[in-house]
Amino acid sequence: MQKHILVVDDEAVIRDLLDMFLSRSGYRVTAVSSAPEAEEVAGRDRPDLVITDLQLEDSDGLEMIERLKALLPETPMMLLTGVMFDPKVIRETLKKKVSCYVEKTAPLTRILAAVQGLVGK
Amino acid sequence: MDKTEKRILLFFALVLGVFVVVAVATVRNINRGVAGSDWVNHTHAVILENEALRSDLYLSDGSAHTFVVTGDPVDRRAVVEALSDVSENLDIMEALTRNEPPQSNQVAHIETLVKVRADFIRSLLAARRSGNMDAVHVLLADDAGQPALKDIDRAIEKLKQDELGLLTERDTASFVQAQMTRWAVWTGVALDFLLLGGAGWLIRDDIAARRRAATALRAANNQLEAKVRERTSELAASNELLTAENLERSWSNQGLEHQLNYNNLIINSINDLVLVLTKATNISRVNPAVVRITGFEPHELINRPFASLAELTYDRTAPMLDPIAQAMKDGRDLRDQEAVVQDRLGRRIPVHVALFPLRDRDKVVGGVVILQVIRSGDGREPLI
Repeated sequence: MQKHILVVDDEAVIRDLLDMFLSRSGYRVTAVSSAPEAEEVAGRDRPDLVITDLQLEDSDGLEMIERLKALLPETPMMLLTGVMFDPKVIRETLKKKVSCYVEKTAPLTRILAAVQGLVGK
Repeated sequence: MDKTEKRILLFFALVLGVFVVVAVATVRNINRGVAGSDWVNHTHAVILENEALRSDLYLSDGSAHTFVVTGDPVDRRAVVEALSDVSENLDIMEALTRNEPPQSNQVAHIETLVKVRADFIRSLLAARRSGNMDAVHVLLADDAGQPALKDIDRAIEKLKQDELGLLTERDTASFVQAQMTRWAVWTGVALDFLLLGGAGWLIRDDIAARRRAATALRAANNQLEAKVRERTSELAASNELLTAENLERSWSNQGLEHQLNYNNLIINSINDLVLVLTKATNISRVNPAVVRITGFEPHELINRPFASLAELTYDRTAPMLDPIAQAMKDGRDLRDQEAVVQDRLGRRIPVHVALFPLRDRDKVVGGVVILQVIRSGDGREPLI
């Protein structure tokens, strides 16, 4: 059975690219643009992985992750952002909040490797 | 149309030709048979009439002798009737043999003899009827042995034998004709079977050749399909790779664009005047705060010497470079310098100046200048 991945990003280009890439890689993808939509999908169709942008148009990605974790405690969360963080800061600040952090400038193959590491192939 | 098809068509044309020839020959023989049958009937009619003539002649002759003896009118009437029948027989025979000169001549000869005999009988009847028995005796004496009647009988018999001979010939001819028809039909059937056999052989060869060609074509098609499948598979793999590469490229582009937009957002969000200078201290880039505060459009500032926009406060009598140029040359930061910026309307705005050299590895390639407006106590920009 295909693993379900919920992609949350307010940029349509990123949503479309991730949807296309992850679908081609064998995953079932639901891509939404806002936190309320993500929470609605999470309640209706439980994802195996959530990939979200740090900065969403209507809310903060980390806040949304907190709410989703309450809803889906076992589901891994991947933070995907272009904001430059100090790796040390990432480790200290985000390691308890997200399962994985990948920069948007990272190649898709690395993102796929991270996804596979979290939910399998 | 190929060679084999032409041959097969030729064979069938020959079969049809033989069939037509046999049919024509058979129909002609049948027609001949029918005509022969008519002729036989006609000949039999001649023979029968010939026999009837002989019979009636003998009857008339016998009746005449009877009348001579009896003198009975009944016998005389019998003679007259018999002679009438003889005359009728001769007319019929003449009509039957009209188109056959040999028989016609024979009938004419018989007729001549019969007429002579009929005249004799009439003379006999007349003599007996008149009671002149001497004349009767003379007539009968002259006819002693009945030579005339024997001549007629011979002539009639000859005609009969001739007709029978013709019937025999016709019978032989009919048999030969029937045999010929039989042979023609059997020969035609045999020939047609041979030709059909030949055509069948050619068709069998042709079918075998077509099957071989079809098998070869199927093999070629299968080979082609295998190649197409292989090529399609290669193309699909190539397409897959290209799509993956395109996705990767698009992702990379969006990442860079995102980063660039974010960097621009940061710089454009700074309310202080930020200018990027070349190594020669010409302005190469400005943030929106520069446009907003000085009133100059970017194209009016780009490539313009920084010194023409901001006048730094320093001791111009000392033998030293402009501090901005000097700091750029030295590759060091410059902070807490004061300067005056003259805006588009000629107003002078006091600012704090800070310079940060732009380094590409160890080489200074330009600098970033930040001008912070020195505000009055009420926060408004003071004008000098």
